[in-house]
Amino acid sequence: MLFPYALIAPALLALVAVALVPFLYTVWLSAHEMQYARVGDFAGLANYRALLGSARFWHSVWISTLFIALAVPLEFALGLLGALVLHRGVRLRAILVPVLFVPSMMAPIVVAILWKIMLAGSWGLLSYNVLERFGLLEGTSVLASPDLALYALVAIDVWQWTPFVMLALFAGLQSLPATPYRAAAVDGATAWQTFRRLTVPLMTPLMAVVVLLRLIDAFKVFDTIFLLTGGGPGSSTESVSLFAYKTVFDFWDLGTATACAVVIWVMFFVFSNVFYQAARRLLGAF
Amino acid sequence: MAVAAGALVVVFPVLWMATMAFKPEAVMFARPPVWRFPPTLEHFDYVLAHGFLGNLVTSLVVAVVSTALVVVIGTPAAYAFARFPIRRRDDLLLFVLATRMAPPVALVIPFYLIYARVGLLDTYLGLILAYLTFNLSFYIWVLWSFCRELPVELEEAARADGYGRGQVLVRVVLPLLKPGIIATAVLCFIFAWNEFLFAFMLGGKAVETLPVAVPKLITSQGVKWGELAIVGLVALLPVLAVVFVLQRHIVRGLTMGAVKG
Repeated sequence: MLFPYALIAPALLALVAVALVPFLYTVWLSAHEMQYARVGDFAGLANYRALLGSARFWHSVWISTLFIALAVPLEFALGLLGALVLHRGVRLRAILVPVLFVPSMMAPIVVAILWKIMLAGSWGLLSYNVLERFGLLEGTSVLASPDLALYALVAIDVWQWTPFVMLALFAGLQSLPATPYRAAAVDGATAWQTFRRLTVPLMTPLMAVVVLLRLIDAFKVFDTIFLLTGGGPGSSTESVSLFAYKTVFDFWDLGTATACAVVIWVMFFVFSNVFYQAARRLLGAF
Repeated sequence: MAVAAGALVVVFPVLWMATMAFKPEAVMFARPPVWRFPPTLEHFDYVLAHGFLGNLVTSLVVAVVSTALVVVIGTPAAYAFARFPIRRRDDLLLFVLATRMAPPVALVIPFYLIYARVGLLDTYLGLILAYLTFNLSFYIWVLWSFCRELPVELEEAARADGYGRGQVLVRVVLPLLKPGIIATAVLCFIFAWNEFLFAFMLGGKAVETLPVAVPKLITSQGVKWGELAIVGLVALLPVLAVVFVLQRHIVRGLTMGAVKG
């Protein structure tokens, strides 16, 4: 009966080496005084105290929270609406569906290039035609505005991920059982009653999974922000991920940074545990 | 209507980027922006002259080799998780999932420090190993959902015919699993192809993937917009190919198996 264990051993060993070891190493580092990359004396929780006492850290928590609180509900609402429209049937759906996959599969660098061009200074297509016309900006990119950059990033996230929410929910709608809908039609239920009493309860598990995936992704988001604004101007778009990155590679404060990495990591263990339990209980999927 | 609106919102920025690739410098910054202009290939000359083909090859090598490694290590594991009673299976699967979900920034910090110490910075091996974190866990998790759909009867019949367990895996399971393996592996390839942070931090002059080479186009004389558009298009090409061929499997992949697609 060793056979199954022989099959999983290489994969588990590899994952231990590339995930568990770096994680434990970070935990260990976070409990030591760090002089650049040199490991000093045991420091207990001093690094965590420094992290939690840092205004910049709390500012980044606020930015991340704002980003998630704006982007995820918008993506969900628009995605659900789109999924219902798709489900009702639209012409050329066979062409539309693959097109809608493109943004969520796109490299962050491509997203960054697309929107740098769209929003460039005075000549970007969107800058010129929309932002300037409505007097929101003049001669500068919205990404360079301390007041607006975060909202631009939210809008770009919504652009990239709404189609994914739409398609995931659409796939769920397509696999719903037909019988209860026939019964509802026989009973003369209105479209709203059918949606409220049938579709919503049947779709709740999948909606929960999709929202959780978006929450986790939105909290992790690094590449697009890094490439589009670098956390700036100032620190107006500095999410927790960017804070951790800058603390290491700009300020070389490895003590605070490793403590921050551990804090981020713990959040994700909690998140993925919730995801796993929810998906298992609600979907019976795994 | 809905088709037009949805497609337009997604396609429009991509089309606009595509026009930039052929736009002469003279009309690049025109106000209002122009759609009609005599196309030029000058941006392509610049991209070719500045070593971007090398970056393209590096990207391909890293993505292909890391995906191949993932398939070799991950396939037996996914099958074993689906077919055999493994002790603490749920805990192990949760570990796999957590690895996939792990925030890249929290991973790249220890990777950087460890690699600096053992001399793996700016090496192919280093980057390929680092890509195992998100791709191996993704592959196992999604292929596991394919494995659970395999009918066990065929394997039992093969066992009754005197096949060993290893033979069953190679001769019976792998052929049945092939579509799932290909679909999942292609997604892994795309994730590696798209990846930025690891390549940016752990790579360097010797191992410089295409996404990481992009900042070279932001020069002291300003941003090379046309060249930027070309690199963006090239980086997008494999994604476009995959999306149209594999669309049914993408939902399953992106929802970590929660939707069968």
